Amino acid sequence: MESDNRGVAVCLTLILAVVFSLMPLSGDWIVWKPNFLLLVVMAWIIHWPNDLGIFFAASVGLLGDILLRMTLGHSVVVFALCAAAIALLSRWAKYLSMLQRALLVALIISLVAVLEASVFIFYGRPSAIEHLPMKILLSMLAWPFIDRLVARLQPKRA
Amino acid sequence: MRNVFSRSSTLLRKLLVVILLAVTLMIVDNFTSWLKPAYSAVDNLARPLYWIANIPLRVQEWSANSATPRSEIESDNLRLTKESLIYHGQLQRMSDLAAENLRLRRLLNATELLQDSVLVTEVIGVSANPLRHTLTIDRGTADGVFIGQPLLDAEGLMGQIIKVHKRHSTALLITDSSHALPVHVLRNGLRSIAEGNADYNRLNLKFVSPTADIREGDELVSSGLGGLYPAGYPVGTVLNIASEPGDNFLKIDIDPSAEIDRSRHLLLLYTSRDSAAGAVK
Repeated sequence: MESDNRGVAVCLTLILAVVFSLMPLSGDWIVWKPNFLLLVVMAWIIHWPNDLGIFFAASVGLLGDILLRMTLGHSVVVFALCAAAIALLSRWAKYLSMLQRALLVALIISLVAVLEASVFIFYGRPSAIEHLPMKILLSMLAWPFIDRLVARLQPKRA
Repeated sequence: MRNVFSRSSTLLRKLLVVILLAVTLMIVDNFTSWLKPAYSAVDNLARPLYWIANIPLRVQEWSANSATPRSEIESDNLRLTKESLIYHGQLQRMSDLAAENLRLRRLLNATELLQDSVLVTEVIGVSANPLRHTLTIDRGTADGVFIGQPLLDAEGLMGQIIKVHKRHSTALLITDSSHALPVHVLRNGLRSIAEGNADYNRLNLKFVSPTADIREGDELVSSGLGGLYPAGYPVGTVLNIASEPGDNFLKIDIDPSAEIDRSRHLLLLYTSRDSAAGAVK
């Protein structure tokens, strides 16, 4: 893919992630559904660390807040924290195997989710922390597909 | 090495800027309504995405309908005809009771019972945030939908409208942790408040004293207090009651009557005091 088309590639994957996020599910699947937007953002930052970073992640987080009806600014912080962690490790992350990368992503998501749940618990709001292991597992299972898709779509260097 | 450190300090600076912006946004969003037009615009733009996200569900429904054998459809048809006959019979009795109720109320000089009308709607989107229980439906201001309007499914109360756009609206479900609904026990009229707790299959009953006459299996209906929900619509059934020493109130779990996470076709409720265009009786 030509580098001129990079914006289109990013938009395409983000739209796909939004569609997956909005897909109606029933029962526990609603709570277990991975955060597809966050996974796509992390994949883009791993593959394209020099051009996409914290501000990109924060913008997508803002879009997520509006579309997914969260308190505005909530996903901005979560996405920015994950993006910062990934950006710090992106130089090494590029050379990790798929499984190692999936584990790294799972670790970052877990840390941020625990932080998020602690804030919810502090304010006496439901946190759904008991569903976190399943959510992380499903995120890990979804990661290889997202990683491969982003790797295929990323612009080739001149 | 120097490069790594300068990179991390730049990252930290960027992160701080973003967190400051996010905190500002949280404050603005929570305490003002300045961002409402932006929400509305994005919601309108996102409508096609909701439609696309529903495609797998529609395909699943279509394939399930196509794969149903003719004999099963015929037996379903027969069963539904019988059910319709039974309901019509019950409805005749209900009309008689309603007329009698009205006569008695007139004798008592009380307010007349309101006749409610409904508008059928379909769910086109579900909140992707598991802690925020909202639905998007395919009716908006063009159909006379208004903020605060009650939403039902075939089994009971589902929630209320919180945002209205031209062709779609957002409803807050009764299971959302920020939702509370005045109810009473059908058996004895005991009043309480049913609160959501971010679980699609549970509600909690608040402020019921340990000496109150409430049992497992008791049915709860909306009490109409507060004026938002009309009285008499099913809310749920008492599932279990726990009393812990030292607690001032009982811990009561309610199984919601409505199929909160499954119903696709819902009813928007208009009471006769709502001047709604497009409502169908």
